[in-house]
Amino acid sequence: MPDYRRPWYHRWAGLLGEPRRRWRSLDDKQRRRANAVLKVVLVLVVLYISWPLGVLVAVLFGANYLDPYIPERASWSRRALIPTIIGVIAITYPFYNGSLADMKLFGAYPDVNTAVIMGVYVIMAIGLNIVVGYAGLLDLGYVAFYAMGAYTCAWFASVQFANHKIHFGATGVASTTPGIHINIWLLVLIAGILTAFIGILIGLPTLRLRGDYLAIVTLGFGEILPQVANNGDSLGGFNVTNGPNGITPIDAPGIFGTSFQTGSGTFFTGPRLYFWFVLILVAITVFCSLRLRDSRLGRAWIAIREDETAAAAMGVPLMRTKTWAYATGAFFGGVAGAYFASFKSSTFPNDFNFNISAFILSMVILGGMGNVWGVMFGAAFLAYLNQEGLANIGHQLNQTFGTHLEVPLYQFGIYGAIIVLVMLIRPEGLIPSARRRAEFHEGVHDTPLYDTQHE
Amino acid sequence: MATDARRENISWIGGIRRAGLAPAVGTTLVVLLLLWLSVNLAKTPSDFASVALEGVTLGLVYGLIALGYSLVYGILELINFAHGDVFMLGSWASFAFAAHQLNLGADSSGFSVIWGLGLTLLVAMAFCGILNVTIERLAYRPLRNAPRLAPLITAIGMSFILQDVGLNRLGPAPVSVPNILPTGAVFSIGGNEYRWSSLIVALTTFPILFLLIWLVQRTRQGKAMRATAQDQEAAAMMGINVNRTISFTFLIAGSLAGVAGLLYALYSTNIRYDQGFQLGLIAFTAAVLGGIGNLPGAVLGAILIGLIQQFNEGLSWHAPSSQWTQSIVFAILILILVFRPEGLLGERTPEGG
Amino acid sequence: MSRSPLLAVLIGLTAVLALLAAGCGGGGGSKGGNATALPASSCSDIYYQGDGSPDYVIASDLPLQGSGRAQTVQMTEAIKFILKQHNFKAGKYKIGYQSCDDATAQEGAWASEKCSANAQAYAQNKSLIGVIGTFNSGCAEIIIPVLNRAPDGPVGMISPANTYVGLTHSGPGTASGEPDKYYPSGKRNYIRIVAADDFQGAADALNTQQLGLKKVYILNDKQAYGLGVATDYRNSLNKLGIKVAGFSAWNSKASSYTGLATQIKQSGADSVFIGGLICENGGKLIKDLASVLGNKVTLMAPDGFTPISAVVSGAGNVSEGMYISVAGEPNEKLGAKGKAFVKDFGATQSGGNVDPYSAYAAQSAEVLLNAIENSDGTRAAVAANLLKTKVTDGILGSFTIDANGDTSSNPVTVYQIKGGKQTTYKTITPPQDLVKGA
Repeated sequence: MPDYRRPWYHRWAGLLGEPRRRWRSLDDKQRRRANAVLKVVLVLVVLYISWPLGVLVAVLFGANYLDPYIPERASWSRRALIPTIIGVIAITYPFYNGSLADMKLFGAYPDVNTAVIMGVYVIMAIGLNIVVGYAGLLDLGYVAFYAMGAYTCAWFASVQFANHKIHFGATGVASTTPGIHINIWLLVLIAGILTAFIGILIGLPTLRLRGDYLAIVTLGFGEILPQVANNGDSLGGFNVTNGPNGITPIDAPGIFGTSFQTGSGTFFTGPRLYFWFVLILVAITVFCSLRLRDSRLGRAWIAIREDETAAAAMGVPLMRTKTWAYATGAFFGGVAGAYFASFKSSTFPNDFNFNISAFILSMVILGGMGNVWGVMFGAAFLAYLNQEGLANIGHQLNQTFGTHLEVPLYQFGIYGAIIVLVMLIRPEGLIPSARRRAEFHEGVHDTPLYDTQHE
Repeated sequence: MATDARRENISWIGGIRRAGLAPAVGTTLVVLLLLWLSVNLAKTPSDFASVALEGVTLGLVYGLIALGYSLVYGILELINFAHGDVFMLGSWASFAFAAHQLNLGADSSGFSVIWGLGLTLLVAMAFCGILNVTIERLAYRPLRNAPRLAPLITAIGMSFILQDVGLNRLGPAPVSVPNILPTGAVFSIGGNEYRWSSLIVALTTFPILFLLIWLVQRTRQGKAMRATAQDQEAAAMMGINVNRTISFTFLIAGSLAGVAGLLYALYSTNIRYDQGFQLGLIAFTAAVLGGIGNLPGAVLGAILIGLIQQFNEGLSWHAPSSQWTQSIVFAILILILVFRPEGLLGERTPEGG
Repeated sequence: MSRSPLLAVLIGLTAVLALLAAGCGGGGGSKGGNATALPASSCSDIYYQGDGSPDYVIASDLPLQGSGRAQTVQMTEAIKFILKQHNFKAGKYKIGYQSCDDATAQEGAWASEKCSANAQAYAQNKSLIGVIGTFNSGCAEIIIPVLNRAPDGPVGMISPANTYVGLTHSGPGTASGEPDKYYPSGKRNYIRIVAADDFQGAADALNTQQLGLKKVYILNDKQAYGLGVATDYRNSLNKLGIKVAGFSAWNSKASSYTGLATQIKQSGADSVFIGGLICENGGKLIKDLASVLGNKVTLMAPDGFTPISAVVSGAGNVSEGMYISVAGEPNEKLGAKGKAFVKDFGATQSGGNVDPYSAYAAQSAEVLLNAIENSDGTRAAVAANLLKTKVTDGILGSFTIDANGDTSSNPVTVYQIKGGKQTTYKTITPPQDLVKGA
């Protein structure tokens, strides 16, 4: 629209959409060049924040660029390259953690305990990714699965049911301790299966509802379960969950007779054991997620997500597929919840609220819905922010600018601002799946019929 | 756009439906509920009546918030999580204006209360309306073409930001609002009073509702809203300025939230920075209960939830106590949606009436 | 081998880098002299104004976010005040102080993963020699076992505010396995200088009896503290033979409590005991109770409803005449040392108000510094010394700590709100036999 016909304030208001319009008008070659420039800028920024991170990001981008040049015979290594790098860096993290200089703005690198919490959230985010990212079911009550997993672990690994005395493979528990004590690794599996079962029960009557109705119903379950846990000290006269006092302490996992609480020696300290084993759980979860994505079931999920009617027309059994998505997501939520409860050695009804569901959902969307790597990164980053990062940012801001901002008063707002900013700049998520990227960055010939963006 | 594959028959639920058992089960539940209510009514009629009145009053306030949710959802298919926090900021704005600027208090004269509150109403409506439009411009418009989940997460982020603003303005503890409305009794039912403040709040919602219905049904803007809700592209082709219509919808929704904020502050006399999330949840549940996009349905759902809450806490014969209120509200929602997935009054575009 | 050489090179490079950087592993904050600081994500910087650098660090674990912030922040100020008075020394050891937060912004209150992370940090940091905390009993349930198993002996913890009974001794209302489940090593490492809920429940019951009330309706907020104190109160009432008209919870998320108040009216109670925290919408609850029940009904609450100024501002003038009990002596009844503390510390605070909990925090700091002074500098010795504490003419007067970690001084002060201000009504020290049944 020619300038003289638009009132002056329209021009200023349109500023927000300007970069997006410019981006749309680039052709492929220009776009690739712009992408490369952006990546270099990103690497420089991360290098400034912390040089080891910057090196890592540079290596990852570089590996991506070098990808076409790796000969076909080495296709196995091409696919395994980036995960292996990340894996090695992750496993050796406790060793070099302390000698890393502080990051600018973000403060110290997360310590091993925070890394365990990040790992747990990664598992939960991957689980939710299956429900929301693969199958496209909006789930606002994921915290219910987390709670179910945590309480299952609590029931079978503490003194809660003190009139029974069942010990089965528990490490670090004196044989005279009352209550049920089952090996934590077994319990993690049991918790996952039980939670999957609950997921199926929840899903059966509700999965036929349309998108947003399903959202509110899952939100309802996410509110009901914690309240049941809070009132669980007298359900029909039985003390099931010990009410608001929670169940504590919960046994720690053990391996080869060493309990994770104490660890053994200075190499296999408790926190390191927790950390390495959460890495194993994360690896298993990622593996399962990738295999599911590439299976018939995964393709059915993607079909349902894209267009239910077409999928049904192609013979995809809608309800069964959705229920499978729900159950699988619940399984991983239960696994994560159980491990987390054992790590914290406690579980309280107050731990579970809608904020956590929103938190995990934002990890999935922010990271890149449907893409396991994106989701992992989003989860790790946001969990780190919540545990340590925001407090550190506040401290740094106070130190550099000499202000006396009460960090806790602004933490919430900063977190919200980060989410909004990332969504505005990159709504497909930080590392979107290839499909999403194609959806978002339409070519020049894909302009809509009437440009409602441009006033 | 919505597909028609909303209802899916799986083996056993489908079997139940085909056998006509679903209506039977549903009807049994409703009958049991009504039975329980009537026993309570018989045992303590005056308490029942006063509890019911409080429930309706509360429900009307919820209804104003629920309308905002419904409007925005109808036009954008977006669950605006930040709406509850706009409501909370409306409460804060009304309180700050009325108590600090106008110095209204429990002892203000009737005349000053009336014109003071009228002024506060306008201020609250303007504040929340403009806030809502700004949020839409900044956070939702750039994501108009993004998949539905991106604006949802943005809404959650905006909700956090607004809650933080509220936390900084109000502090973490609940703030007591002076009793500006008279607290004497209008009438007494067997020893339980129904206060003037409750009556005024309840009565104020009616003109607002009628105004809204008139707006949506009879004005050009309303027609534009309904058209855009039905089909954005076709509306644009008809010459409706889609962006302006959407902004207008947000303005109306924000104003409703502002009114609700003022009324809530006057009725409940305690405002807290996290009331937005709590009440927003209830209001959205109400909107869904009534049928999403359906304006009268939103109000009906809200009144229903207000009644459920008050009955649960106030009746004495076999009433689960107030520690179960949240669960019961959601359980009833889930049951209703299972047996009637389109909500109580059926989902519609906001055709009003 | 047809594997890409690039892969091998990259893996090798990364591994070499990692191993090169592998030094003394494990996280930790910046180093400050001899003492290693606790991580900045939970704790403030080391507060030390003595000469050189501190040998050891003590930490306070309090919820610094949410509605109780004003109280807890003043508590940390009180600890700093005492430390400064001692010139940052406990005997021959130089002591620094860090204030740690166990709350998250999201919850606005203590969060279990924060408590757990803090506990791990305390256990692993060898410079940390004692903890003052926690404020909430639930957080203590998480931290005590971790400190109990910490390397170099159990780490001692002294609480100025935990009132949950099961932390130190068993009784009706505690779960099975308590308190031993918090002390896996068998040695005690936790003491508290405030009376437990069974004392408060018993004192409130005595007060109810002395006020001549016949039928009490008990409310609780369905949180750990509220449920505990309400249960203890009910048991004490039963022992005294006073009728309990009802026992139910209030929903802290509700907008209106007229329904609940109607139920209470129906039960014919002449008084209501509100067991819980003021921040669980207590103000609105009081307002609605007063408006439905009128002023013939007496309202009583335990120390969850402090600071009393919050009750007055939250409920307005309908809170007039309400009784609120707080474990401990009122500020005006403190001995000479206590009065001096209130005066001197109050002078450093804006408004001159000293929250009662600040006196408790100050006394905790004194006790801890004393224990460190008499020890050989090891954590186990400090913890053992805590359990042998004998205080004469301290800020809170004279008291001893018994083998369970409980204090011997158990007066409970009942305040009444008169004219919008807190006034001391009476002090009750409940007899042992009533407490045992609580």
